Amino acid sequence: MIRILAIILIVLAIVVIVVPQFTNCSAEGRTLTLENGKQVAMKCAWTARGEIATGVPLLVLGLLMAVWPRKQSTRSLSILAVVQGVFVILLPTGLIGVCMSSDMDCNSILKPTMIVAGIVTILVALAALVLNERKTVS
Amino acid sequence: MRLTSLTLRDISGNAFRSFVIIACAFVVAGFSLATILVARGATDSITLTQARLGADVLVVPSGNERTIEGALLMGSTAQIRMARANLEKVGAVVGVEVATPQLYLMSMSNSSCCSVPDMFMVAYDPATDFTVEPWLRKELGRDLTLGESVGGTYIFVPEGADTIKLYGYDLSLEGNLEPTGSNLDATIFFTFETAYEMARISATKAAKLLYASPDQISSILVKVSPGSDPGQVAKDIRAAVPGVSAITRPELFGSFREQMEGQRAVMLVVLAVILALALAVIVLVFSMVVNERRREIGVLRALGASQTAVFRALLASALTLAFIGAVAGIVLSALVLFFFKNALTEAFGFPFMFPSAGSFALLVVIGLAVALAAALAAASVPAYRISRRDPALSMRE
Amino acid sequence: MIELRSVTKTYLGAGRSPAVTALNEVSLTVESGEFLVVTGRSGSGKTTLLNLAAGLLHPTSGEVLYAGDDLWKMSDKERSRLRNHKVGFVFQFPSLLPSLTTLENVALPQSLGGSNAPQQSAGARKRRATELLDMVGLSDKLPSFPRQLSAGQQQRAVIARALVNEPEILFADEPSSDLDEQTEQEIMTLFSGIHRDSGLTVVMVTHTTQLVSYGTRAVEMAAGAIVPGAA
Repeated sequence: MIRILAIILIVLAIVVIVVPQFTNCSAEGRTLTLENGKQVAMKCAWTARGEIATGVPLLVLGLLMAVWPRKQSTRSLSILAVVQGVFVILLPTGLIGVCMSSDMDCNSILKPTMIVAGIVTILVALAALVLNERKTVS
Repeated sequence: MRLTSLTLRDISGNAFRSFVIIACAFVVAGFSLATILVARGATDSITLTQARLGADVLVVPSGNERTIEGALLMGSTAQIRMARANLEKVGAVVGVEVATPQLYLMSMSNSSCCSVPDMFMVAYDPATDFTVEPWLRKELGRDLTLGESVGGTYIFVPEGADTIKLYGYDLSLEGNLEPTGSNLDATIFFTFETAYEMARISATKAAKLLYASPDQISSILVKVSPGSDPGQVAKDIRAAVPGVSAITRPELFGSFREQMEGQRAVMLVVLAVILALALAVIVLVFSMVVNERRREIGVLRALGASQTAVFRALLASALTLAFIGAVAGIVLSALVLFFFKNALTEAFGFPFMFPSAGSFALLVVIGLAVALAAALAAASVPAYRISRRDPALSMRE
Repeated sequence: MIELRSVTKTYLGAGRSPAVTALNEVSLTVESGEFLVVTGRSGSGKTTLLNLAAGLLHPTSGEVLYAGDDLWKMSDKERSRLRNHKVGFVFQFPSLLPSLTTLENVALPQSLGGSNAPQQSAGARKRRATELLDMVGLSDKLPSFPRQLSAGQQQRAVIARALVNEPEILFADEPSSDLDEQTEQEIMTLFSGIHRDSGLTVVMVTHTTQLVSYGTRAVEMAAGAIVPGAA
């Protein structure tokens, strides 16, 4: 059962890494033009990069949990996964953010995907933690 | 050791089979909730939008019925114009209490980065308006003056700025209206005065010229006198004013309602198919589970467990799995529909509003009930069969 | 105590295979307190006989009486209760439930009794189960799971389980056939010890004719009928 949860975490991690790359404004060719005429990436582009930093550790966590479902390691891994899940949500909502316009993909697709993926990650990790604690020592 | 807790302990045994049952309940519950939510959400949104407009009759130039509905609900482009002279004619019709004009304008795409592109702009007459006036009276206690605006829930002032720049003109945002789930949430309202000023400024300050001629309006919103029949008033308006359509409130958004009915029917068919499939899969998988454990069940019967005890215990284990799956399905379904509101609205082509906590709780219960009932029905067939078997036959290799 | 009157059991063939008559008009009486050994080759119908006598199988025709009551005129609840309170079983295959500990397995019949079961506390049940496991020599295996026990140890636990509700009769279907000779001896000694000490009625089915000496009476089955003269 824990293996199945670990696989779900792996899938979520892939979503977290991949989806923002295609739904941020830079990917659609939109950039911010500064006063002096320079073109800079918008917030959502940075959020997308940040999600790579939350997604990759989550992927590794999931792989470790799937390959070595031992009680001690699963406990630590699931706690870490919960933390990762929280950051997956925080990046587009507070830490960096996305564009404010509700029409843009980063707002209508990237942000909700990260929020939902983050919540599911937290729930799945908590489930793994609980199931793991109930297991007899292996 | 109660028989029920006994069989529950064994759930962890067949991990994959348990997962399949959980997955079936997950899909059924999730999709049931989604279907109900979408249907309710669309209806709620349309009702809210109609209430926001507040009009008993909407008068637009003939042939523009679909366009206006599209603009108000979904934000599709609308270039609707008719003579301002129509206003007087409409006002003269018997049964018309108030007739207020509105002018619809569209902002340019990417006009000012990060404010809503393709913004829908509505110019209104503060003297006769009943769309935004109620809100203004309640929240601001005054009318909007020149250069001020009020927006739907998605309108905002870009970061680092104090005003919204449209066509080179600076607008201040005095507040945001309640959400409706429709395009009214991305609409900005200001007075006719402001509109004309904006048009004047656009000639020199904007990349594109804004046309807002004083003798043109887009629509007339009509409130009928108490006791009058809106249908009759609409007819009279059509008779009195050539070249216009008069839409009563129930007819308003009619084409969208039809579209929704169509979508709803499709979703119900898909739900029925999913339900049938899930039932079949659960019967199959549960039969396998029960078959694998038939020896154990035979032993339990030999030791004194009655047919009913075994039947109940097996159903309990199926229900537990179904419950886990159903809850997970509902949680995911609700999360997706809540956070992906905007993307879904675009995809479906009609508005969507997430229900209040109370309604939502009820819908959750319905979704759960559907999934649990399905699991119960499906599992009872194999459970019944094995509980009735002679113990000796169950234990035979 | 148990009476079979003209009992026939026919198994309907699956698909195109013909129906099989496993038992043909068999009549048999099991007296209270006796140790009956039923022998016969495989296919002779001895296991079917046992299952019918124990109420685990529905006869095609004939009657099965327990202390004068027709088993198949009772409701399933009554029959289940009878099995729980009055009958103990030792099966040929390993019949301990794998997800329960040895102690829990032995204590199991105590909580399957239904609403009329003697209301014992969990403590009393545990004590009884522990006593019996002690008697069969498994007192150090209480928290172990069946997979951690040898075949012989598992059968001993099954015997303990069979006795936990103080039954009147014990049915054993080839209880030692899967075991090595030495373990078989141990199990059989246990059986005759129990029979001797508590006056329990025992009906045992075996294909090993050497084991007949453990019983007080022997009956031989062949081709679905009792071989005359072997009573």
